[in-house]
Amino acid sequence: MNAPIIDPLQGDFPEVIEEYLEHGVIKCVAFNHRGSLLAAGCADGSCVIWDFETRGIAKVLRDNDCAAAITSVSWSKYGHRLLVSAADKSLTLWDVSTGEKIARTTLQQTPLHARLNPGLSSPSLCLACPLSSAPMIVDFEIGCTTLLPVCVPEMPDVLAPPQRSKCPESGPPFSPAAACFNKCGDLVYVGNAKGEILIVDYKSVRVLALVPVSGGSAVKNIVFSRDGKYLLTNSHDRIIRIYENLLPAKDVLRSLEDLGKNVDGVDGVEKMKTVGSKCLTLFREFQDLVTKMHWKAPCFSGDGEWVVGGSACKGEHKIYIWDRAGHLVKILEGPKEALIDLAWHPVHPVIVSVSLTGLVYIWAKDYTENWSAFAPDFKELEENEEYVEREDEFDLMPETGKVKVSSVNEDEEVDIETVEKDAFSDSDMSVEELRYLPAEPIPDTNEEQDELKLIEARISASPASEEAGQNGHVTDLVSSPQAEEMGETRGKRKRKPSEKAMELQAEKAKASKASGRTVREKSRAVGDQEIDESVNGGGDDDDDAYY
Amino acid sequence: MAEEVPAASSYIPYVHSQTLTSHAHALSSLKFSSDGRLLASASGDQTIRTYAINLKGDPIAEAAQVFTGHESGISDVAFSTDARFIASASDDKTVKLWDVESGSLIKTLQGHTNYVFCVNFNPQSNMIASGSFDETVRIWDVTTGKCLKVLPAHSDPVTAVDFNRDGSLIVSSSYDGLCRIWDSGTGHCVKTLMDDENPPVSFVRFSPNGKFILVGTLDNTLRLWNISSAKYIKTYTGHANSQYSVSSAFSVTNGKRIVSGSEDNCVYMWELNSRKLLQKLEGHTEPVMSVACHPTENLIASGSLDKSIRIWAQEE
Repeated sequence: MNAPIIDPLQGDFPEVIEEYLEHGVIKCVAFNHRGSLLAAGCADGSCVIWDFETRGIAKVLRDNDCAAAITSVSWSKYGHRLLVSAADKSLTLWDVSTGEKIARTTLQQTPLHARLNPGLSSPSLCLACPLSSAPMIVDFEIGCTTLLPVCVPEMPDVLAPPQRSKCPESGPPFSPAAACFNKCGDLVYVGNAKGEILIVDYKSVRVLALVPVSGGSAVKNIVFSRDGKYLLTNSHDRIIRIYENLLPAKDVLRSLEDLGKNVDGVDGVEKMKTVGSKCLTLFREFQDLVTKMHWKAPCFSGDGEWVVGGSACKGEHKIYIWDRAGHLVKILEGPKEALIDLAWHPVHPVIVSVSLTGLVYIWAKDYTENWSAFAPDFKELEENEEYVEREDEFDLMPETGKVKVSSVNEDEEVDIETVEKDAFSDSDMSVEELRYLPAEPIPDTNEEQDELKLIEARISASPASEEAGQNGHVTDLVSSPQAEEMGETRGKRKRKPSEKAMELQAEKAKASKASGRTVREKSRAVGDQEIDESVNGGGDDDDDAYY
Repeated sequence: MAEEVPAASSYIPYVHSQTLTSHAHALSSLKFSSDGRLLASASGDQTIRTYAINLKGDPIAEAAQVFTGHESGISDVAFSTDARFIASASDDKTVKLWDVESGSLIKTLQGHTNYVFCVNFNPQSNMIASGSFDETVRIWDVTTGKCLKVLPAHSDPVTAVDFNRDGSLIVSSSYDGLCRIWDSGTGHCVKTLMDDENPPVSFVRFSPNGKFILVGTLDNTLRLWNISSAKYIKTYTGHANSQYSVSSAFSVTNGKRIVSGSEDNCVYMWELNSRKLLQKLEGHTEPVMSVACHPTENLIASGSLDKSIRIWAQEE
């Protein structure tokens, strides 16, 4: 909606760490559909949801039964539900707006990744990828789990795949298979340990197509882009591959069936491969030829233009960004802590990365002030330009033709009501999206109100001791007669110092926080400290906003 | 063709329905809640009052709550989208957050260094924007009360702030003659709207679809600006506005109209597209400072320096 106003060239990829969020030790993060809320799972089993605009905590989901670390969080399509998988082999489905638990099941193994079906508005169906077995579909309503096939059965010339449960790799242990839903949730794309992508219809538990990944090395992550047009695989051979999805967006199952029917003459594996070649084509490969590092948590940007991957090396926090043409555009380096999770904001050029210490870093664009926005007739030049004035520029001319010709046709119809369709809404928006959790203001306590009044007194440049004496008597802000009286006497005093003086006083009050205090202030050192921080917290924000 | 007749045959005039005189001092601001059930009024008598609106009742508006606690006159009041909270901007340099049902004070937002003149919630109601005589616009977090951003908005007192319909942009106006549009997420200035002459801007608000802004200037003119082209496309004159910060509103419940207060004690209503003056509502005895249009019904509320609020409804 703001496309005509906001400069399109400013929406690329992030460059610097803007801020970090902290709430216990965070293990994994996920944005909701619009990026207005960020859900994060903690090591103590609770889940926190941040309001990403205010960067404040909107809700904390705490389950007393579960105290094990969260391994993944996943939003439902419209943001009403949140699926949380934990290290104690459980999967919990939460209702976001009420903060209540809807359902909970325990699996046989700890699920590393769990994703809610993206096609349904209130899904109770989810895909779970456990540590050492095949991915499964878990249905909360019926309460059953269905294992998905990891390899195509009845293969005549298969080499028996060795069980990968004992793997001598030094990196983090990889699951034998990674899986994800496609955009509408009809199909599951499974990447197995043999380096193949299987397209599975999970309702009938059948493999419909097979796409071999070149190199044949185990697939660690498999992710779709937001629009479902591209698929990304992260393999054990340290290469990230991008595939183009050739299947149509809607009615996918039928197209696949049709493709299967059209292929005749071959059977079994070959048939699968032929169908598969019509579903996905290899588009790009990304790897770091120099360090040949393993990748962690690769994903697409919101618009699918960029691919981002985190380096899986311990002790460094590096994020690589490629454009879809295959060029490495940026390497973001954070503090020396290993990276454990990564997410790109669905709308803005913002990346959120989780480090091993449990902090969530927010990366954003380094903004350079656009001075033309402040003065529309001001043009910013890249380099100095010679200005050649007109022949008659400085001539004195009578103001003849200076009548302002209003070139505006004021009779044109103006439409103040219709709104363009949102780029993010899908055509079948029958369900209302949960974009925000209602803000619940934390009430000021009486103590805080007193302290705030004292700070206000400090800001106005009145004789300090008298003010303190008066303020000491005020305990309840709501009592109006007293307040009115206070207001009047204070009002009289306030008008004396000039604007500038008051501002300087305010600055001084903030600056002298650390340095020595006056006698009056020493008596309430502790209380002041806290309030000062909360007031000066705002001050710090000032600094940020000014550049 | 009824074009010569100033009041077209299809236009049903508004008539005076009720006068509320509960305030002890001049009215500064009036707002309807987004569900239309409540009307809030702010006054120089340091209180905010809410009235329950019963469209079928007689009288239409009945006093509901009184909010006391400010130490100075109040310049502006705003409802949160769910009408659970009210924010008020006062000359005591604070913005206060109140609970509508109980009338109790929830939070005091401190930070401005001069009179706070205008306040508004964003549509998500998790942020509050306030403009002040200290020439800045501050964005506050509703939950914690922390000041999230301070925008170095203008070089003169900020007279109005408003969010657009999805909360992504803030428009601010000031006596320095400029209207500036800010990105509410990052706090960066996106555009500045100004003309060859820059009369002090006393009021600004977004149109319902966020593409236009209605700008009131102290040269007795109201203009409708197109934001993307940065040019004004409509001008409305006939009223008086050269001293006070008189507010205006869009009325969309019954044809597209612009409603504004005026310093000649009347409420003016123009047709949006044709810019024709449709009606002058007379009755107040002093300049009309604020007008509010009910979101769903054909009801207008006007507040004046004569300490009264008048409710105008369409005659049956």
